[in-house]
Amino acid sequence: MHLLEVNNPVAVQRGVLNALKASPRPQSLEGKTVGLLWSGTHGGDIALNRAGEMLQERFGGVKVNFYNGNNYPAPPPIVRQAGEECDVVIGATAD
Amino acid sequence: MIELEKMGRPAVAIVSGRFEKDAVASSRAFGMPDLQWVVVPRIYRNLEPEFSISQTEDAIDDLIGSLTSSIDERKSGIDTENTLRYEGTDRYDAILRMNTELNNEDLGDGLFLYPATPEAVAGMLTGTKLPPDHVVCDMPPGFGVATVEKIAINSVMAGAKPEHLPVVIAAVKALSKLQKDGGKSLLMSTSPQAPLLIVNGPLTKQLGVNPRSALGPGRDNQVNTVIGRAFLLCFRNIGYWYPGHMDMDTIGTTRKFIQCIGENEDMSPWDGFHVDQGFKADESTVSVFVTDGELDVQDQGNHTAEGLLRNLAYGCIFGTRSLQSKKGGGQRLILMPPDVARPVGAQGFSKQAAREFIQEHAVGSLGQMIEYMPLEGEARVTEEWKWLEKLTPKQRLEISINVMDSPSDCYIVVVGADRAKTAVFPSGPAPVTEGIDQYMA
Repeated sequence: MHLLEVNNPVAVQRGVLNALKASPRPQSLEGKTVGLLWSGTHGGDIALNRAGEMLQERFGGVKVNFYNGNNYPAPPPIVRQAGEECDVVIGATAD
Repeated sequence: MIELEKMGRPAVAIVSGRFEKDAVASSRAFGMPDLQWVVVPRIYRNLEPEFSISQTEDAIDDLIGSLTSSIDERKSGIDTENTLRYEGTDRYDAILRMNTELNNEDLGDGLFLYPATPEAVAGMLTGTKLPPDHVVCDMPPGFGVATVEKIAINSVMAGAKPEHLPVVIAAVKALSKLQKDGGKSLLMSTSPQAPLLIVNGPLTKQLGVNPRSALGPGRDNQVNTVIGRAFLLCFRNIGYWYPGHMDMDTIGTTRKFIQCIGENEDMSPWDGFHVDQGFKADESTVSVFVTDGELDVQDQGNHTAEGLLRNLAYGCIFGTRSLQSKKGGGQRLILMPPDVARPVGAQGFSKQAAREFIQEHAVGSLGQMIEYMPLEGEARVTEEWKWLEKLTPKQRLEISINVMDSPSDCYIVVVGADRAKTAVFPSGPAPVTEGIDQYMA
């Protein structure tokens, strides 16, 4: 038998070395403001609007804000506005 | 999504099934491995509205869960640390097993891979003065840490020689300088964008990079092929440009067997492309272009500069046009053979004058470029172009427009054997040129 040892060609990703943690989640979406962030791609708006409607059906007092980013990723000012005005945000690239 | 999470706002993306691996790779690439998303079966973009609604309804429980429950990191399953071991009945058998496993894990390009033994990697590292742990860059689109050692390992696997290593290092560095983010969105596109490497300066001859019939397989293009392949393996294993992960191409292209070519400076009437980019003629460089197609522009009998350039300009018109910005014109990389370049140069055209002439005459019908796009309801048609919605298709066809917004969007590199056959590539963003000499032993 012959044992061949070779060096691993795969590099570690910088984003794994410097990983950030996602935000703590709320217990419920009751009374929350939900942002819908659209990339501007066909069909994504349909998905987001339906998701928003369903959250309003399931949880009391949910307010929905729709944001048109018009691109992917969305421009920083639109992202910032969504983050400032909403408790949680749903996105869809649709592509 | 990550920017929202950084603001303390739980964020969830709806992604289609084909993009789930992309979501795993992207969340790791962009620094938040526990970013959340929910999966729907089909891509929304061309889906009938009723299916868009029903597949969203099916995902709503997962969506609520991702916004309200504790979350975990998604594992990529890709090992980056360990030495890889393969057993066989003899050395040849072990190498065959290594090939089977590496290609099955998609860490190769589907062709035979050379074993990157520690001894072979040490030999490769003699090609540069840089230490193995030197970080050249974070390589897009996955932003793997591109150490000299990792570049050397992939270069060994490609069959490169130590003298090729500085070119590969420079090309990796150049890619990281594309746009402000390394061109990551472009490289992850569902369209077939692919890098093309062009070497200029004395190294072209010293290494044997072919500047004549430079694209394609065979004896004359061994160096072109192996340097391009080394870059490709780096792109995959350091940049995470794996199909279905961070290369989301719909059909793909043979241009993704990346090629490295030389400029035919001896047969050019003009300075080399690297001089256009601010380098000295005696410096060696590699330029990274990103191409998005390829067209052979034949010329059957023109011998005047204007005739040759008009024909070439016409060949630049193909393709569609973006309506996402006020300008939105494309770029073109023109691999111009000596039989076009020399008469053009001899009849008084500088390279800049040729670029201006081509840009001015590469005019097409705006209506044809956008004919079949549904303008209404597509938010990516920006305000500057909304007036098009009021026109009839016939009126749109009658509008002429320059394919390139500026002569600076037209890049001429002299490449080729005898005959007036030009290769035109839609390209962009602007190429990046990196000096090679600084990386040599």
